Amino acid sequence: MEDKEERIETSLVAIVIDATPAKKFASQPLDGSSMMNRIFDSLIAFGNAHLMQASHNKLAIIACNSKSTKFLYPSMDGNSRSYQNRPGQYDMFAKVDSDVRHGLGELILNDLTDNDSTKSDSLLGGAMARALCYIHRVQRELSLSHQLKPRVLVVSGSCDSALQYMTFMNVFFTAQKENVVIDCCMMDTDSGLLQQGCDITGGQYLHIPSVAGLLEYLLWVFLPSPSCRSKIVLPPPTKVDYRAACFCHHKLVDIGWVCSVCLSIFCKFSIMCTTCNTEFKLNRPAIVPAKSKKRARIE
Amino acid sequence: MADEDETKEYRWESGYEKTWEAIKEDDDGLLESNVADLVARAKRKRAALKATGAIQLGMMRHLFVVVDASACMFLQDLKPTRFLCVLKLLEVFVHEFFDLNPISQLGILTTKMKRSEQITVLAGNQKKHIEALQQLKDLSCEGEPSLQNSLERAMNGLKNMPAHSSREILVLFGSLTTCDPGDIQKTIKALKDNNIRVSIIGLAAEVRICREIAKKTGGTYNVLIDDHHLKELILSQVQPPAVAGSIEASLVKMGFPGGTPSVNDGTSDSSADHAPAYCLCHIDSETSSLMGPNGYNCPQCGSRYCELPVECKQCGLTLVSAPHLARSYHHLFPIKPFIERAQVPDTTHCFTCAKLFVEAETNVYECENCHQIVCLDCDLFIRETLHTCPGCASDPVTAQMKTN
Repeated sequence: MEDKEERIETSLVAIVIDATPAKKFASQPLDGSSMMNRIFDSLIAFGNAHLMQASHNKLAIIACNSKSTKFLYPSMDGNSRSYQNRPGQYDMFAKVDSDVRHGLGELILNDLTDNDSTKSDSLLGGAMARALCYIHRVQRELSLSHQLKPRVLVVSGSCDSALQYMTFMNVFFTAQKENVVIDCCMMDTDSGLLQQGCDITGGQYLHIPSVAGLLEYLLWVFLPSPSCRSKIVLPPPTKVDYRAACFCHHKLVDIGWVCSVCLSIFCKFSIMCTTCNTEFKLNRPAIVPAKSKKRARIE
Repeated sequence: MADEDETKEYRWESGYEKTWEAIKEDDDGLLESNVADLVARAKRKRAALKATGAIQLGMMRHLFVVVDASACMFLQDLKPTRFLCVLKLLEVFVHEFFDLNPISQLGILTTKMKRSEQITVLAGNQKKHIEALQQLKDLSCEGEPSLQNSLERAMNGLKNMPAHSSREILVLFGSLTTCDPGDIQKTIKALKDNNIRVSIIGLAAEVRICREIAKKTGGTYNVLIDDHHLKELILSQVQPPAVAGSIEASLVKMGFPGGTPSVNDGTSDSSADHAPAYCLCHIDSETSSLMGPNGYNCPQCGSRYCELPVECKQCGLTLVSAPHLARSYHHLFPIKPFIERAQVPDTTHCFTCAKLFVEAETNVYECENCHQIVCLDCDLFIRETLHTCPGCASDPVTAQMKTN
């Protein structure tokens, strides 16, 4: 059944920023302003560039660190903060700018109590889950004349957290089901989990060599919507490692033994499953019954 | 369902159900808040039924679907005919089944003219089943169905399956009679001995023998009310069933192809692994596909396949990728139901979607572990689709917990 009228395409980008203060970035000054400042300036510019593409476009920005996750835009503060916009500047740009800076300040202040925040993992999974819930809500609230094209852009510099594997996988499968494309821009390290997520949802994964050029990479690679990406030559897809890690040594395995009850993976055959404590029966048939069968046939 | 409850009176005994009395106008004469309330309550009821605790579920399922293709399936009480309606819904079922149970296998049988025929063998390939279902549309429905023949044929297919898998049969039965060659009680006993669960969905009226089969084998028997109800009944079979307690656990050997070999792993990569090769899944068909370096190689024998999950034809190893197993993990670690509370003036926004709580929403939902407040729609979304609480994932204490 084809729509007789063309539905207005509304593109929603949810930017998930990992604001974990990696010591490497916080201390690297560049042209007078610190690297963190530059990263957030680039992200605000990217968000505004997306809003500028079409009047119906929507934006959401969620930040996370190792302590909590926070909606930077749209802001969940009840009070409407007054923001100053330059004459001639689109109101929404000033609002995004002001909300993001204010929210980020609050997020970092909350984190100051713990000194070793760089040791625990960043809560990227939780931030992505909130982004998906927000996308789901916008989808519900949008009128029938609009068609929502959502995507999530993850900007991060942290390594994978093995303990958040379940959250990440649930987020990726939900995104695949809801037709949400997950793109990823990695700044410092590579993340195998996010590579898998981009592959599962059909998004773009990019590991940028220099953080100083973040805005350029964002505008060139991630600003075009997924529907027109086929016309542009983008960085080639990375070959994703889909092997599983065994539960006992966390090594990647080619051939593994899977418990039929709890689906945990082991690299060696053992008698008991360590996750669900079930005992296994040996699959191999005993030799003795076969011989007795043969004897019975002869007799 | 009202049909199966034996203690409830029949509709003609208890008088008419005055459903219009449930809708009342509120003070302003508007119906909106009342309707929204009813819709919310219906949603909650549906979601609450699904919330189960951590019981053992059969993950690796071997399911046979038996479709009745007898003369009564040409009746038009389900549009356009019963048979076509059922086939359409089965396509949706197959898609959802493999979505939720990626390492399971499905087979399709039909029964007509007092015999049963096998349409597809037990396989984990979604496309083959959907193609077969589409070709079935031209089948002429005639004759009488045979419940015993179809159950026996399905049982033969399932008997040889490994003991750790959950063996199931789903029968879509539209006839009120069955024509069997022997004693069906013996078949029922054999089914029970082989640990096979038979679930039946009746399309006409309740049939006594179907109720008995379902009860004795531990399955479910439902008769549909209308086509929406049929869709719900069929899709309820997608969820893995609770294990009766007699399934043996065993370690299954599985291969995980598709790795990028690195120096640290110690796995050697020869150039043969990435050379173009014919894939084994299409080698029997007329158009066999020559794969570039993009296929998956079986780690044990090196044969090439274009998609996973698949059972290697050469060495018999089941090949899956890690996300396939991860899809089933959420059944093992279900989220506890959220507590329903009255709205608190402190929290103005829903935690997950940043929606402002309005006066009309009287109830909000709180997670037991992280105490974050979410709205009704987010609660349903989390429960049905996301399977992980964003509040718990956003809290450093609960996020780092190993799901055990």
